[in-house]
Amino acid sequence: MKRHNQVTALFVTVVILLASVASLAQQTLDRTKVPPPGPSPALRVPDWTKTQLSNGATLIVSERHNLPLISFTITFVGGSNQFESESKHGVAAMTSSMLTEGTATKTGDQLSDALQLLGTNVSAGVGAEEGSIGFVSTSKNFEPTLALLGDMMLNSTFPADALERLRGRTLVNLTQAKDQPNVIGAQVFARVLYGAAHPYGQRPTEASIKAITRDDVVAFSKAYFQPGRAIITVVGDTTAARAKSSIEKGLAGWSKAGDKPSFNYPKVPELQPAKIYLVDKPGSAQSVVTIGLPGPPRNTPDYFGLQVLNTILGGQFQSRLNANIREEKGYSYGVNSVFSFGKGPGPFRAGGAIFSAKTDAALIEFMKELKGIEGDRPITDEELKTAKDNLIQGLPARFASVSAVSSSITTLAVQGLPDDYYQNYAKNVSAITKDDLLRVAKQYIDLAHLAIVIVGDRSAIEAALKATNIAPITILDIEGNPVAAGGTGATNR
Amino acid sequence: MTKNRSVLSVFALLLTIAVGQSVTAQKNGNSSAVKIPFEAYKLPNGLNVILSVDKTTPTVAVDVWYHVGSKNEMPGRTGFAHLFEHMMFTGSGHVPYGLHDKLTEGVGGNNNGSTTNDRTNYYENIPSNYLESTLWIEADRLGFLLDTLDIAKLNAQRDVVKNERRQSYDNQPYGRVGEIFYAAMYPKGHPYSWPVIGSMTDLSAASEEDVKAFFRQYYTPNNAYLAIVGDFEPAQAKAWITKYFGDLPAGKPVERPNIALAKLDASKRLVYEDRVQVPRLYIQWPSVGTKNADDVPLSVMSSILSGSRTARLTKALVYDSQMASNIFAFQNSNEDVGQFQLVVIPRPDHTLTEIEDAVDQVIKKFISEGPTDDELQRAKAGLELGFLRGLESNLGKANQLLDGAVFHADPGHFSIDYQKTLSVTAADVKRVAAQYLGGNRIVLSVVPKGKRDQASKSSESEAVSLLRTEAAGGGK
Repeated sequence: MKRHNQVTALFVTVVILLASVASLAQQTLDRTKVPPPGPSPALRVPDWTKTQLSNGATLIVSERHNLPLISFTITFVGGSNQFESESKHGVAAMTSSMLTEGTATKTGDQLSDALQLLGTNVSAGVGAEEGSIGFVSTSKNFEPTLALLGDMMLNSTFPADALERLRGRTLVNLTQAKDQPNVIGAQVFARVLYGAAHPYGQRPTEASIKAITRDDVVAFSKAYFQPGRAIITVVGDTTAARAKSSIEKGLAGWSKAGDKPSFNYPKVPELQPAKIYLVDKPGSAQSVVTIGLPGPPRNTPDYFGLQVLNTILGGQFQSRLNANIREEKGYSYGVNSVFSFGKGPGPFRAGGAIFSAKTDAALIEFMKELKGIEGDRPITDEELKTAKDNLIQGLPARFASVSAVSSSITTLAVQGLPDDYYQNYAKNVSAITKDDLLRVAKQYIDLAHLAIVIVGDRSAIEAALKATNIAPITILDIEGNPVAAGGTGATNR
Repeated sequence: MTKNRSVLSVFALLLTIAVGQSVTAQKNGNSSAVKIPFEAYKLPNGLNVILSVDKTTPTVAVDVWYHVGSKNEMPGRTGFAHLFEHMMFTGSGHVPYGLHDKLTEGVGGNNNGSTTNDRTNYYENIPSNYLESTLWIEADRLGFLLDTLDIAKLNAQRDVVKNERRQSYDNQPYGRVGEIFYAAMYPKGHPYSWPVIGSMTDLSAASEEDVKAFFRQYYTPNNAYLAIVGDFEPAQAKAWITKYFGDLPAGKPVERPNIALAKLDASKRLVYEDRVQVPRLYIQWPSVGTKNADDVPLSVMSSILSGSRTARLTKALVYDSQMASNIFAFQNSNEDVGQFQLVVIPRPDHTLTEIEDAVDQVIKKFISEGPTDDELQRAKAGLELGFLRGLESNLGKANQLLDGAVFHADPGHFSIDYQKTLSVTAADVKRVAAQYLGGNRIVLSVVPKGKRDQASKSSESEAVSLLRTEAAGGGK
C-alpha cells in the first residue's frame, strides 16, 4: 500500500509537474515570433446611386445607417484657376465667405444663429480647381440645414459693408502669412516653377484683394454656383428618394445653367537647369527646403506607378527620405514628398524643415535619395511589396466616416474616373513593376532641372550650400522676385 | 509631415475645443444617441483594458495611454516625458526597429504617439486582421523596451525632438507664447510651469539612466490603459491580451501628489518681441482642471464669448467695432489645472490698448448680466452632432473612453460630461464668469521686434526676454 501510495504520490507529483511545465510553457511565451495576420478582410466599398437632375447637376447618394448623420456636399468642377482673372485673385474665396453675410430674408446674424441652433455649420470654399458648399448634420436636422444652404447659395445679398470687413481681415491674413516660413516656401516654389503668367504661379495679393468690388463678387457668384458643373453628394442616414425630394425642395429655383469648364492651362515655362533659390529669413532656427518641378496631371496613365514610387520615396514614415534624414541623421522632425495631381501640371515636391546648421548636409541627402530612386539604389522587392500593401490595404480608411465616403466618391466624378475605380484599385496597384518605377522616376523627376527653394537664415547657410556644388544659388525675396546683388532680401526683422 | 510623434500643442487643443466643445443642446436632447458600448476590465497585473466593437469598417484602433506627462518630470529634465515617447518607437526586446512601422503603415495602417502635461499615448490604426501583431508590439515595448535601449538611439531621437522644438515653436511666429504663459502663470517648480516640449538645455542633459528610471517608474501595466476599438472579436482579443500582457510584472503604484491651482496675487502685464509683423494680444486667467465641476460651464462660456459671429467678443470686436481681425476664447483644461485663454489679432490702425479696453467692456457687461437663454441654448446646440461625429472614428472613440478612464476612473465619463453640459444654467455661467474672469490675470502683448511701444499699456508692461534657445545657426 505504501508503495502504491508512493506510486500514487509519484503519479500525482508527475501530473503536477507536467501541469506546471505546461503553465511554464505558457509563461515563457516565445515573443520572438511575429504573430501572423489573420485572413484579409473583404474590402467593402460603399454602394451609391448616381442620377442626373433636371437642372443638370449630378446627384450621388450613398446610404449608411450606422449613425444618425448625413453629409451633404455640392462640389463645383473648376475653381479659381478657371473663374478668376489675374487682377482679381481672391474673389472666389471672398465670394464663398460672403455667403454667410445675409440673404434676401435673413441677416448674417440670423443665419449664424439658425445654423448654431441646428448644431451645424454650412461651409463654403473655392479652391484652385474645384469648390464646394456643404455640411454634416444629424439626420433629423438635414432638411432645415439644407434649406439654409439653399438660401445662402441662391439668395445672398453680399452687403457692401460686409465686403469691406472681409477685405480688412483678408489683408491681415496676408500680412501674417509673410511671417510663416512654410507659406513663403510654398509660394516662392510655385512662382519659380510656373512663373507669374500661369495660374499655378499666381495667388491673391494685396493689390488684387484691394481691387475686388461688390460687383465682382455678385458676378462671380452668378457665374460660378451653377448646377451644370455641380456634383451633389449625399452620404449617410437617408435614402436616395428622401435625398432627392429634400433637394428638390431645399434647392428649388436652382435652374439649369452652366457647364463644366475646360482646363486649358498655358504652357509651363521651359524648365531651367537645377538651381537653388534662397529666400533670406534672418534668425531662422530652421530652413524650409522644397525641391521639385512641374509634374503630370491626375489623368496620367502613370498615376499608379507614381503613387507607388512616392510611397517608397517620401509618402510614409519609413520612406527613404524620412528614414534617412529624420530617423538616421536627425536633421529634421520630418521630411516627405508628394505628387500634387490635379487637372493641370501639379508639382512634384520633396522637402521639410531642416535644422539650419544641417541645411547643406540635408540637401546632399535629398539629392542622394532622388538619385537613388532613379537607379543608384535600386528599389527592392520588399520595398515594392510594402508600398503596394500600404496603398491597397489602406483603402478601407477612405470609407471611415460620412465625409470620408463623400469625398472618396466625389473625387471619381470630379476627376472623370470610373465608378468601379476602388474595386479595381488593388489590381492596378499590384500590376506595377520595378521597371515601371525606374521609368517613371527618371521620366518625372528630372534631376538636371530641379528647383530647390530654401527659406532660411542666409548668413548661416549660404556658404555651406555653395560648397555642396549641387547647383548655383539665386537670392529671391519672399514674393519670389530676384534680389539685386548685394541686397539682403530680408523683409522681416 | 508624414508623421509627428508630437507634443499636443495649444493650437491642437484650441481646434479640439472649437470643434468639439462649442456644441449644442437639443431641448429634447437626443441623448439616446450618446452611447459607446464598451466593456472594461483589469488584468491581475493592473493593466486597464477597454474594448468597444464597431464593425463599420474592417479596421481597428489600438490605443494605449500611460498616466504620465510633462508634469511628472524632474527639475532639469523638462521635455523628458515627450523625449521618452520618442524612445518607445525605437524598437524593443523582440521587435527590431522598423518592424512596428512595417506592420502598421506597411499594411495600410498608421501609428503615432503624443504627450501632454498629463498623459502619454501610443496608437495604431490597422486593418482588423493585424490586431494580434499590434498587441504583441504594444506589450513588447511595455515589457522589454530597455533590452535594446542604447545611447545612440537616445541621441538620434534627441536630435529629432530638438528639431520638433525648432519647427513647432522656435521657428513659428508667436511660437513661444505657450512657454511664456506656463512660466508666468505658475510658480517656479510647479509641475505645470514648463512646456511639454521642454528646454534645449534639458533635452541635451537627458541620459540613458534617466530613460531607464522613468521607464521603471511610469511604464508599468498598472499605469497603463489599453483600448481596442473597431472590428474585432472580444473573446479573441481578450485571449491575446492575456497572452501578451498577462505575465508582465506590475510596478509600484505611481504617487500622485496634489497639485495646486494657479493663484495670481496680482495681475501681470508682459510684452514679448517676436519676428512678426502683426502684434497680438493674449490674456489668460487661472481657471480649473478637467476634474473640477466648473470646467464644464467655463467651456460653455467660451462658446458664448467667441466662435460664432453673434458670440459676445466676436460680435463686438470683429463685426461691430471691427478692431479685430479674429478673436478666440477657450477653456484649456488639464488634469489638475486650467486656464481661460483669449487671443486677439488686431486690424491695422487699432492698438492693443484699445482692444484690451474693448475686451474688458464686453467681459464686464457679461459678468454683470450673464448669458441670455438663447445664447445658452445655442452654445449647447452642437453638442449632439459633435459627439456623433466623434463616434465615426475608432481612434476618436478610444480616446474618449481612455480620457474618462485615466482622468475620471470611468471610461463612460463622456456621457456624464454630456449631461452636465446640457444642464449648465445661465446662473452657472454667470457665476464662473465673475469668479474667473473677474479675477487677476496675465496680459501678454506680442509685438514686432523693436516695437515695444505697440504693447497694450506698454509703459506698465514688463519685457519678457527669452533666451535664444540656441546660438544662431547653432551647431551641436
